[in-house]
Amino acid sequence: MPENIIEAQQFEQIPFEKIRAVKGEMVISEDFPSYLVDESKISGGYAEYLFFPNTEEEIASLICKMREEELMITISAARTGIVGSAVPFGGAVLSLERMDSVIGLGYDDEAERWFLRVQPAISLNEINHIVKLRKLELHQSIPEEKNWIEKFETEKTHYYPVDPTEMTASIGGTIGANASGARSFKYGSTREWIRRIRVDIGTGDVLVIHRGKYKAKDGKFVIKTSEGDLTIKIPTYKMPKAKNAAGLYTKPDMDLIDLFIGSEGVFGAITEADIWLKEFTPQMSNVVFFKDEIDALEFVIKLRTSEKIQPEFIEFFENNALSLLRDKQKEDPKFVNMPAIAEDITTAISFDLPYSEETLSEYFIEISKMLEECNSSLNNTWSAYEDREIARFKHFRHAVPEIVNNIIAERKKQFSEIHKLGTDMSVEDIHLKEMMEFYRVSLKEAGLEYVMWGHIGDNHVHVNILPRNMDDLKLGKELYKKFADKAVQFGGSVSAEHGIGKIKHEYLQIMYGEEGVLQMREIKFSLDPNCVFNCGNIFGRGVKK
Amino acid sequence: MKILILVKQVPEADKVAVDPETGTLIREGVASILNPYCEYALDQAAKLKRDNPELHIEVTAISMGPPQATSALLRCLELGADKAYLLSDRKFAGSDVWATSTAIKEGIVGLEPEFDLILAGKQAIDGDTAQVPAETAEQLGIPQITYGVDVKINDKRVEVKRETETGYQVLSTKMPALITMSKGSNIRRVPSMQEVLDARKKPLDVVSADDLNIDESKIGLSASPTQVDKVFAPPSKSGGEIIDGTDPKAAAKKLLEYLKENSFLRV
Repeated sequence: MPENIIEAQQFEQIPFEKIRAVKGEMVISEDFPSYLVDESKISGGYAEYLFFPNTEEEIASLICKMREEELMITISAARTGIVGSAVPFGGAVLSLERMDSVIGLGYDDEAERWFLRVQPAISLNEINHIVKLRKLELHQSIPEEKNWIEKFETEKTHYYPVDPTEMTASIGGTIGANASGARSFKYGSTREWIRRIRVDIGTGDVLVIHRGKYKAKDGKFVIKTSEGDLTIKIPTYKMPKAKNAAGLYTKPDMDLIDLFIGSEGVFGAITEADIWLKEFTPQMSNVVFFKDEIDALEFVIKLRTSEKIQPEFIEFFENNALSLLRDKQKEDPKFVNMPAIAEDITTAISFDLPYSEETLSEYFIEISKMLEECNSSLNNTWSAYEDREIARFKHFRHAVPEIVNNIIAERKKQFSEIHKLGTDMSVEDIHLKEMMEFYRVSLKEAGLEYVMWGHIGDNHVHVNILPRNMDDLKLGKELYKKFADKAVQFGGSVSAEHGIGKIKHEYLQIMYGEEGVLQMREIKFSLDPNCVFNCGNIFGRGVKK
Repeated sequence: MKILILVKQVPEADKVAVDPETGTLIREGVASILNPYCEYALDQAAKLKRDNPELHIEVTAISMGPPQATSALLRCLELGADKAYLLSDRKFAGSDVWATSTAIKEGIVGLEPEFDLILAGKQAIDGDTAQVPAETAEQLGIPQITYGVDVKINDKRVEVKRETETGYQVLSTKMPALITMSKGSNIRRVPSMQEVLDARKKPLDVVSADDLNIDESKIGLSASPTQVDKVFAPPSKSGGEIIDGTDPKAAAKKLLEYLKENSFLRV
């Protein structure tokens, strides 16, 4: 029977001096500047310590030391997040980069699934490389006497299916962010793929949380630590049905592991994780083109509700995104590296399907029917299934964000304060068309330049407003808030995959209200009373009890 | 009009490394693909077909290789070939470039003797020898033009724009002829879902040495006059001189002097 009481494990202290560390704000900013930024490009980060621990014991020791000095800790791994979660504003940076190995591989008899045990800083790319090529030693079997490595050799190819686009992301970071990406349409977010974690918490103890072992009872968890019992009252707000990465997870009988997944590191540092592996299925990538966006949206609805076909993901590119690609194709064909997109096309939908010669014809005939009902045809498409071609399609999907970033970089030369305003909102299935219409009408009325693309299978489209001047930026921010209001009204999330980090606090309030945010804060201070970990993430930097 | 495309399945070369100790290729986890230069030849055939509807061009892809090479031919069918043949037989195993060209020549004579034009990639990205197309042309006794980037058909003649070390050259020859294709500036095509679907209905035949009545003494390892002794990565270059670029004018002057002194510039 699952229980709601968990006992933390304690460590013997290791002398602080033994931990590899850099001390001094100046030396860190001059010699280690990359530890003060992440992909959010938030500026102004600084830190007094930079640590490179090798073990949980070292982390526990440095936590104690930082508490003595009343300094907070910002966790840092691959720094690929885009909401500033890894940017420190004082205190210490805890870089987990030395903890980047595969510990082992095992088979869970109960779940009948393979899992890989990894340290937090290993990248998703590296995990898949090791798993696909089975680069594991015999002694890495968990437990060793089971000889799982030999057995795994005879299995079909496996992989870790979470693909948040940035595959250099670390597993620890993706657990902290509950990362998702396009393929969450089929496989769900990181949450669905985590079997067990170990977390170093603010008391310096470690929690070993196995999914299914600890469940909330009477709305509470009790954590027994070296500093006494911590009682965690789980929040009472309702989570949206739509894809969501905003704030803390809650559910009346929730699993303790889910409190930590997606918590943006505010409760501690994940030091080890068991991740589920999945049998690899060859894929084929497809892009279909439409002359009218309404037809494209209709196709999306048909495709995602099809009983016969289960796409890996469904991605959307509207007219402005295609115009950017067309312009780039004329200027530098090799950058886009795809055939020319016809001028009369206004929308493209990209999706991957499982590839098998046995089912290919059946799937394509089904898709052909859908396309004909939506005023397109199989002739207005691209298709590929070789690895190099799939990589080419992936590059194509990522070309638009890259072009947009270049445009913004150019504009920054004239207005240094300008930045892109990229939304990350989702809505419930039934509101997809309404939300798209709301985006379009609002942006047109405002006269702003924009580009839209994203994970339309999950009703999660990124609207990117490209301000041409400071007035546009102001107008864009106002519009962003209107979009957030509307997304929440449509049962969605203000942040479907990027998280809240240090830049989206006000939108969290829109979603959960003041009471909801207060409940989250209460957990933060129950579990991390000294506010040791990742202060500024989810809650404002100045947050107090 | 009949155009034949000679194609080869190759490992994705940029992912293949050479084991420094054994000198063998490390192909673990490396996918097999249609040789990119063969794909350019196929693109050229598709273009000729599109630009010359009155010629009723039929495009046939031919390859020699193991059974799994059918996947490369399937890609040819997706990208515009009308039919395909795979010459596949254990008796072909170990063939060098000469024995391979013999097998291909026999295949052409046995399967598509009435061809007008043969297009091939200038070389395969695994062996990089660029020998097979040339030797096939010789064995068939037809003219060949290498390193083409554009091909036009002019009545019974073919006109080829070809790359040279200093620019381009336009050559013309009577058909039948064999042309090898370079990359040029083309962006590789992508088949539509309709083309992928249609490809599964096109003929793709696997043909053995016996089907072609090939004399066994002319193919395979024993009929190969050459053999690869060792494959190795060339030693990486070391040393060199780095010019400090802090002062661009001074750096440019120094570079100019170096080029003059070493006779790289005729100034």
